Amino acid sequence: MVLLRGFLTLVVFFLLGEAVRVLAGLPISGGVLGMVMATGTLMLRGRVSDELASASQGLIAVLVMLISPGVVGVFFIADQFSEHWLTVAVALAAGTLLSVLTTLWVMNWVAASEGKKHD
Amino acid sequence: MTERSGVYNELMSVWTVGPLLSIAMTLAAFLAAQWIFVRIRRPLWMPPVLIAAVLLSGVVALSGIGYEKYQHGARWLTALLGPATVALGIPLYQQMHHIRALWKPILVTLPIAATLAAVYSLVIAWGMGASPMVLASLAPKSVTAPIAMGVSEQLGGSVSLTLGALLITGVLASLFVDWGAKWMKVTDERIIGFALGLNGHAVGTARAFEISPTAGAFSSLGMGLTGVFTALFLPFMFPF
Repeated sequence: MVLLRGFLTLVVFFLLGEAVRVLAGLPISGGVLGMVMATGTLMLRGRVSDELASASQGLIAVLVMLISPGVVGVFFIADQFSEHWLTVAVALAAGTLLSVLTTLWVMNWVAASEGKKHD
Repeated sequence: MTERSGVYNELMSVWTVGPLLSIAMTLAAFLAAQWIFVRIRRPLWMPPVLIAAVLLSGVVALSGIGYEKYQHGARWLTALLGPATVALGIPLYQQMHHIRALWKPILVTLPIAATLAAVYSLVIAWGMGASPMVLASLAPKSVTAPIAMGVSEQLGGSVSLTLGALLITGVLASLFVDWGAKWMKVTDERIIGFALGLNGHAVGTARAFEISPTAGAFSSLGMGLTGVFTALFLPFMFPF
């Protein structure tokens, strides 16, 4: 019952997010809007209930399972992209390498210059 | 022989009336993937989601259920991606003190890195002559799946291609962060974790939790912030 209450809270926030998306005509998914509203509500309340925390942990733990049916689709529609595969492979490999190095460099640099100021 | 296949076909048509066969297959593949992953000593290049997808594809192809029917039943599970996205907001709130402690590096890095995570690949793909559909599918490649699927749909991409790109990106990001941190002599686990989550979403976050709980927390933070940032700004910046 405890888990169900937490789950209901998450579903209600998702439905609210969908409502805001449609009513405000935003190009953002209802899940993201629900997430922002949930975080905002928790910040206003200043605490998170155990039931909500455990329901969210449970769902995040099976995130991989919820994604897998979609990933299966990649194998079944692969032939649709056979002409693009080289482009996709190069763009992903080179792009990810560059963005990983950029992230490490920028954050390390800002954190280090912050640290120096405090010394 | 004909009678046997007749029984099989009848069974299949009964089992695929409801979603439960698809659900059982997905659950079984998920659990088997976790078990195999531990057994083959948690290789970075073969995360559980990849193992699960390969197992599922094999079963879907061999059993003759067909992708369409499987997907139809699995919708009962994928519907949970909505509330699962909302669930990401709870660790975000719980880690608010981490954000406050390191707010400046996070605030500077997030917009630059989250934008470049999309732009680098888009520019390369565009330079190689990719179609707008392929570009739209690649744009949310560093974003956690439930958010990426929504972004891809809104931009006119293919959700399946996006999920494939996501998976490859997550695996590559885990490898590259390992190498990059060693090469650039970055030892701060908060920075390594943030880079894993920002570039490698859920796959990178799973890797970060193997490094340390702190790296895991910062990876969840990086994943959540990149998701929100990309969902909020990418549809407005995407010029196609």
